[in-house]
Amino acid sequence: MRRLSMIGFVLAVAFGVVRPDSVAADTLAIVHAEAWTMTGAEPLKDATIVVSDGEIVAIQAGTLPPAGARVLDAKGRRVTPGLIHAATRLGLVELPDAKETQDAAISAGSFGAGFDIQYALNPNSSLIALARADGLTSAVSYPASTKTAPFSGMGAALRFQARDSVLDRPGVGVFVTIGGSSSEGAGGSRAAQWQLLRGALDAARRAAARTADVQALEQVLSGAVPLAISTNRESDIRLAIRLAADYKLRVVIIGGAEAWRAADALAAAQIPVIVDPEENLPDSFDTIGLRRDNAALLHTAGVKVAAVVLTASHQSFNAGLSMREGAGRAVANGLPYIEALRAVTINPAQIWGMADRYGTIEPGKAADLVIWDGDPLEPTSTALTVIIGGKEASLVTRQTELRDRYMRKAGLPSVAQNSP
Amino acid sequence: MTLFRDLCCAGPATLAILMGVVAHAAPPRSPFTTDPYPSTYRAPRSATMLIVGATILDGRGHRIENGDILIRNGKIAAVGHDLKARDAQVISARGRWVTPGLIDVHSHNGVYSTSDISEDSDPNSADIWIEHGVNVDDPAFGAAMRSGVTTLQVLPGSKPVFGGRSVVLKPVAASTVRDMKFPDASPSLKMACGDGPKRKDGAPSSRPGEVALVRGALLEAKDYLNDWREYERSGGRGKQPKRDLRLDALAGVLTGEIPVHMHCYRASDMSAMLGVAQEFGFKIRAFHHATGAYQIAEELRQAGTCVVVWSDWWSFKTEASDAIRENAAIVDAAGGCVMMLVDLPYVGLRLNIEAAKAAAAGRRAGFKLPPEHIIRWITSAPAQVLGLENRIGAVAPGLNADLVIWSTDPFSIYSNADQVFIDGTLRYDRSKPDESITPDLYLGRPTAGSDMHVKGNM
Repeated sequence: MRRLSMIGFVLAVAFGVVRPDSVAADTLAIVHAEAWTMTGAEPLKDATIVVSDGEIVAIQAGTLPPAGARVLDAKGRRVTPGLIHAATRLGLVELPDAKETQDAAISAGSFGAGFDIQYALNPNSSLIALARADGLTSAVSYPASTKTAPFSGMGAALRFQARDSVLDRPGVGVFVTIGGSSSEGAGGSRAAQWQLLRGALDAARRAAARTADVQALEQVLSGAVPLAISTNRESDIRLAIRLAADYKLRVVIIGGAEAWRAADALAAAQIPVIVDPEENLPDSFDTIGLRRDNAALLHTAGVKVAAVVLTASHQSFNAGLSMREGAGRAVANGLPYIEALRAVTINPAQIWGMADRYGTIEPGKAADLVIWDGDPLEPTSTALTVIIGGKEASLVTRQTELRDRYMRKAGLPSVAQNSP
Repeated sequence: MTLFRDLCCAGPATLAILMGVVAHAAPPRSPFTTDPYPSTYRAPRSATMLIVGATILDGRGHRIENGDILIRNGKIAAVGHDLKARDAQVISARGRWVTPGLIDVHSHNGVYSTSDISEDSDPNSADIWIEHGVNVDDPAFGAAMRSGVTTLQVLPGSKPVFGGRSVVLKPVAASTVRDMKFPDASPSLKMACGDGPKRKDGAPSSRPGEVALVRGALLEAKDYLNDWREYERSGGRGKQPKRDLRLDALAGVLTGEIPVHMHCYRASDMSAMLGVAQEFGFKIRAFHHATGAYQIAEELRQAGTCVVVWSDWWSFKTEASDAIRENAAIVDAAGGCVMMLVDLPYVGLRLNIEAAKAAAAGRRAGFKLPPEHIIRWITSAPAQVLGLENRIGAVAPGLNADLVIWSTDPFSIYSNADQVFIDGTLRYDRSKPDESITPDLYLGRPTAGSDMHVKGNM
């Protein structure tokens, strides 16, 4: 019913007639937006975006806001869907030397594929407030490792609304790590990692006891969720492609430093890659072939690409800003601008099965929106307004509070308010 | 005996140093700081070149629109408008920007990827010379140059309290580290405080333990200096003190000849170390990381101590959880001296973007930070800290022609270094892949080669 009434409302707005009784009490209209909707290659200028009940109900150029709606004037600024981080540890890490804030990995016990980080998420992490202020409204957080190689466990989709939980959907994928630097758990060879992975998939098909590990792998085998493989070397990327074919799995590559060398095969297999466009140096022989234009080459070949910065100091600690910066560098190295924006919005949503709700500005989608003071892919720009579920999120962070306290103490002028 | 000869034959200035600990003057070299491994870098003969039509940020606070730069004999000969030189090769920089070559005062290139960054066997590793570990084939040098860096100081890591001496290099393709050494540049002593040098399996295991270790070592260095002073007074007739490589470095710190670059995060840690420096009569040249600098900006200014800071790293350890993005801007506004940090060779090595982000946060907090000002954070400020301000760090006549032509505003994420000149020689040209600068590491391997250029479409 809600969807029906919404369609009616959209039609009403589209024809410029909005009956007052169709405007819900919490209707919000963003006017004069340069809306990067992610549904086309060009922005919609002077757009009016109407939000009701936490959802986008209309977007059109030049229309008046519905009567009774609260109006937010974007003054011609860029508005994008809330950004989505495709691969982070937000909610699972906060201060690496404070063990009680570290929940991304387990170093004992028998959990493998079924290790589920949904129970560890801390919505009060200071990293989440910062990520939100940097324009992130959703993310996929994933585990780092277990004692059962090559499995890291199950990841979860997060949404950063100001509620008592940031969990949006648990179990969005099963994560494994394969490569030279992670082969210890498999005895020191990546061959064993692949064998253990294949063996676990085979065993899950005929397992009598439906353990947490088996249930997780059933999800992968049925194609309900992807198997995300963190790996970089070309040989491993080609083995991932073969695994996807042999078991008819949905596979996602995270990292993929040498993915450009297998770009055509990845495109043919419809395997997306979550790349780090900041990387410009190999940090191991697994990444010896990395290129700064990896994202551009993959896109040209037809591979769906999400952009994130995976370096540990930024992947979670500066998740929002580093992701925008990385996407900007991808553009500097040849990725078309619109594709870089997609790589931080609709592409991660599609990769993780979240595209029904997030990643574009169109009727029916969640009203997760960001008004920017400039180009969101310039790390010098900032989010002026972050809207999640139709509500303006607080942009106060531990950092802004420290800044304000010490500027006051030093007698420095107070900070200009960030508002559109 | 070499040392004695150096001592006995030193001029009156050196004698003056040995007669009393001079903290603030910049005295000439004493034997403690004589470089036994001098640079063998020789700049190739460079053509006369005229860069025309650029937006120039000169590194000294000026922005020159549509400006020209004349390069002759590897030096900047003139900067201005409508320059003419009949013999010059003309390079059009119309629509592009020119800055001094960027200077990275906190690099671990050449030592990070091979785990030669720290000698961890002793918290006092003041006897270490990091140049002895530098792998000249590290692709990080080429990556730094492609990011516009023309001078870098390679520092030891922060596990020991006294990490050892730094080396100042040019990121040029070379077969030996001496071929990369910046001629006559002085090394610094790297020190560290806070959580970094704490040991689980020995001393120091705490912050107070670190400070005690520093004070104890400096007391010893004072005696060492006095012994040599005595020996000097005796005209070489007394008993020659035993040479000690650790105390050499620390004596150099006490005489002010070896500047101290110290890794610290918290404001309280920096303040404690400033107290120790005052106690022993030397200056800390710069705190690196310094995430809490904004909390003691005035104290830092009064001490004349610079900070080398990131724009946005934080929380990756507890002592970094006070970091704010306005750190650089607040220290700058207090009249302090600021430069940017990139540190690890894996997050892009883009000093210009670090400066851009730090300035953007500062502007939002109400500070005026135009491009012609913030370029100083990555050019003239680090030049000064390295004592090289009369040779590099600005687009000014007489200085080395270390220049970068940027595709656009260098503080934009979309900017690329199009051309990089060191001593007037074109070392990198983004439009011309040059296999001669491919690191040996990449040969015979499935890499993209030295120049991973693709045509941008921005």
